[in-house]
Amino acid sequence: MPSATDALGRDDRLIAGFAALAIAIHILEAAFPSPLPGVKPGLANVITVIVLLRYGWYTAAWVAALRVLAGSLLVGTFLSPTFIMSASGAVAALAALWLAQLLAGRWLGALGYSVCAALAHMGTQLLVAWQLFIPHPALLNLAPFLLTAALVFGIVSGVIAAIVLTRLGTEPGTARP
Amino acid sequence: MSIVRPADALVVAVAAMLVGAAWASLWGGGGPAEYAQVSAPGASDRRLDLALETTLEVRGRLGPSRLEVRDGRVRFVDSPCVGRLCVHSGWLSRSGQVAACLPNGIVVEVTGGDREFDAISY
Repeated sequence: MPSATDALGRDDRLIAGFAALAIAIHILEAAFPSPLPGVKPGLANVITVIVLLRYGWYTAAWVAALRVLAGSLLVGTFLSPTFIMSASGAVAALAALWLAQLLAGRWLGALGYSVCAALAHMGTQLLVAWQLFIPHPALLNLAPFLLTAALVFGIVSGVIAAIVLTRLGTEPGTARP
Repeated sequence: MSIVRPADALVVAVAAMLVGAAWASLWGGGGPAEYAQVSAPGASDRRLDLALETTLEVRGRLGPSRLEVRDGRVRFVDSPCVGRLCVHSGWLSRSGQVAACLPNGIVVEVTGGDREFDAISY
């Protein structure tokens, strides 16, 4: 069926394009020094949220997975602790986005999705770090600092994503399912 | 499509509350103390149950310091030192708090329950 393959090809191109954008942001961010270990603006999540709202969760999951994989290969952290943290955070963020979309659907905009994803991302990373790398209860005392940072950056990313989405407008045939 | 939707504000508010709760639970200090540890020069440490109401005199280098225990709290009532910093420390009630009369060599620390730390370093 030509129409199905056409749709598939268009989806693949979309995923590849957005993943490339996200990877570029991911690598740019990796080049900046961080004031606190583990705190990153996470601007690549802007792309994830935009893709989620325009093309749905499935496409967003592909973009995020490719970003983590290719980003780690390019930065040189593939299969290192950094990669495990990054991957677990991305999985948690995608799970949070899926849940948020299931529960709130159209009531939620880019800001809400972004904050959900940021907090899930940071909370899971903290738990993974605690379980795998630094199994000391005092690590959890960092949680308020890190969660505050996640909230702030989640709001910033969300506002950026919302502005970009309004600029992009709604193209026919690209509304999310 | 407006930039911020009502549900967004709700999500941000709930998230802020969660973060606030994390701050409160992890940095809110210790729980109520259960007993006071009193150390004085030339004597072994004494332990006071904060559930009881007592006053006692502890011999220090300069003379007797008077302590009072009431309502699960403990304080220096008087001490023969100059600045009376120990008296001005007031009531100790949360686990981990310390009051000391250094000239007299007397240190009171409340412990038990959930402990509070000033700082932790590794």
